[in-house]
Amino acid sequence: MLGEFEYLLISTAAALEDMAYGAAIREKLEATTGRKCSIGALYTTIERLEAKGLVKTWMGEATPERGGRAKRMLRVTPKGVRAATDFYEAVIGASRDVSWATIRTRGNI
Amino acid sequence: MTHWSLFEVASRLLPRSDREAVLGDLVEANASPRQILLEVLGLVARRQIALWKNWQPWLAALGIALPASLLLMGESVSVIATFRRMPWPIIAEHEAPLNLMSLVFLLIACSWAAGFVVASLSRRTLWTSGIACLMPCLFCLARFRTESLSRFSLFLFILPVALGVCHGIRHTRISLSFASVLAVAVTMLTIIERSGDFCWLTAALLWPSWYIVATATGHMTKLENRETT
Repeated sequence: MLGEFEYLLISTAAALEDMAYGAAIREKLEATTGRKCSIGALYTTIERLEAKGLVKTWMGEATPERGGRAKRMLRVTPKGVRAATDFYEAVIGASRDVSWATIRTRGNI
Repeated sequence: MTHWSLFEVASRLLPRSDREAVLGDLVEANASPRQILLEVLGLVARRQIALWKNWQPWLAALGIALPASLLLMGESVSVIATFRRMPWPIIAEHEAPLNLMSLVFLLIACSWAAGFVVASLSRRTLWTSGIACLMPCLFCLARFRTESLSRFSLFLFILPVALGVCHGIRHTRISLSFASVLAVAVTMLTIIERSGDFCWLTAALLWPSWYIVATATGHMTKLENRETT
């Protein structure tokens, strides 16, 4: 089972598709969760996910706004998609009939 | 030292590929030099902590570096003392030269094996294994009071250990035949040298050689399985 931060990272990378790399993932994660994401947390989690075969990384091109430094690109593997789907279904299943989920559903209606 | 030069130093602690990506991400996010320094140090610290969740760094530092350095200092002194007691000119029939040769072989082989295993077990935490080795050395150096021997006779083992470490950094295992010969020779000579004085501490000197045999055997078995499948 994925951890919370691992799930958030995989989801963000999947949403960014071909633009998924360190700085972009970090920026989107911070905007979505409203929490600060350190480079240490980001890179150690990426390494852990890669070791588990849930994401694949490679060095991308260098850009001037990065001081000519290359990006570490990231793609979610089919195994990563399955792990994220399992996590999502577990959260949805566990949240059925809980007060905050009901309130949110009513609010949306 | 300015923040920029500090962060340049800190970033050297990261592998080259990571350095490129991490610094690029921080520059793209318009982070200040101070933020970059803190973020890089945070990443380095997290990486080190993650390494210590495995058993290998603990075994390398506390299971080999610490006890082996204590024992190898004893072996070093024993080599020097035996050398000084040698009858001159050396008489061929006398057993002293043989005894000295076996002690020198034991010292070199055990030191090399310990260094090799420490490096091959956990090369990214070599610095802590180095500290674990250094502590007993400094302790003994401060308390060494034998007038007939130089204090530096404690450290004969350092060179073979360093050679073992260098080899362990480049290769994680050696050939099974070489490993077996080394382990059997070291064990036999230790039993002969320490007849009646064989304790668990002696095992701390022997087990790195047998660990090398175990890893070489494991590798051979894996290769054979791959060939049959």
